[in-house]
Amino acid sequence: MKTQILLPLAGAALLAVAGCRTSMNTVENAQKEGQRQMISDSRVITDSSLAKKVSFVGLNQSMTPGGLLKVQLELLNRKGSLQRFSYRFEWFDANGMQITEVASPTVPDQIEGGESKFISAVAPNPACKDFRVKFIED
Amino acid sequence: MKKTLVLSLLAAVLPLVAGGCATKAHYVQTGGRESLVTVNSINIQDYIQAADKMTGELLASGALDKVPNPPAVLAISRIVNNTGQQIDTDLLTKKIRVALLQSGKALTTTTMGLGGTAEDPMAKGLQQEAEFKADQQTTRTPDFTLSGKIIQTIARDGNLSQSTFSFQLSLTSPKSGLAVWEGEKEITKQGEKPSVGF
Repeated sequence: MKTQILLPLAGAALLAVAGCRTSMNTVENAQKEGQRQMISDSRVITDSSLAKKVSFVGLNQSMTPGGLLKVQLELLNRKGSLQRFSYRFEWFDANGMQITEVASPTVPDQIEGGESKFISAVAPNPACKDFRVKFIED
Repeated sequence: MKKTLVLSLLAAVLPLVAGGCATKAHYVQTGGRESLVTVNSINIQDYIQAADKMTGELLASGALDKVPNPPAVLAISRIVNNTGQQIDTDLLTKKIRVALLQSGKALTTTTMGLGGTAEDPMAKGLQQEAEFKADQQTTRTPDFTLSGKIIQTIARDGNLSQSTFSFQLSLTSPKSGLAVWEGEKEITKQGEKPSVGF
């Protein structure tokens, strides 16, 4: 009698868990034509739970034709389910002063399970030399 | 005796509970995570995101750098509103103008507008007066015009409602009449309608 009740419950639980797990498969060209200019990064992790789920893979930068700094950050969802987060770029000049003339938006984003994703931003003016990206779980 | 004690306690606790439930007015960061999100309207964070994304793309494209006398001069043309709400398109274009000005890549004319109307009529009058006195044209012809459209696409499935707002912009060179840069940012929002109520 007890088994009769537990079995459908276990089945339902399994279905519920399976329904939430969607992991992404990817394929790409093995011999890359483009060469990413990777840069070293400095991290401050206060939410280890988010860091375990969505990790920073690498950071690279380039200059636009007009001399603006362009930054690209690769993220990887280490979990098998969709993760939601928000991020915001902050820019600094050569003296380390934050550029606040142009509002930098908080961008809500999401990443599928097992997905590798890039987020990028262009500096608001040529005076921007450094940057910081802030992440928070939604 | 017991009843009086219970009633007294309830009377004391009730204002505290009611006070705790009341929403106290407070400031939130404009466009931040605490901002209200509504499905059927463009929220301020949507304008900020769209403007930031398209400004970044425009600056990265280098289109503004290909003018003989930098910085480029920009005139704002028509931004068509194809959404179900009344919106002020300056909420989008002003953010882009400010960002372009701060980048040092473009200046926007305020004395030239769609249908001959100037954003700043006084500046236009003074400019015309100066040109008349000097007997020569000092007005710089815009290198580019910025036009666009905001479109809303609605989908519903039962109580679930979805709106996609497409922000489309084109940067056109008046000399050639060709769009030298085009950008599009789509923002999709989903939410459930309450089953009871209006």
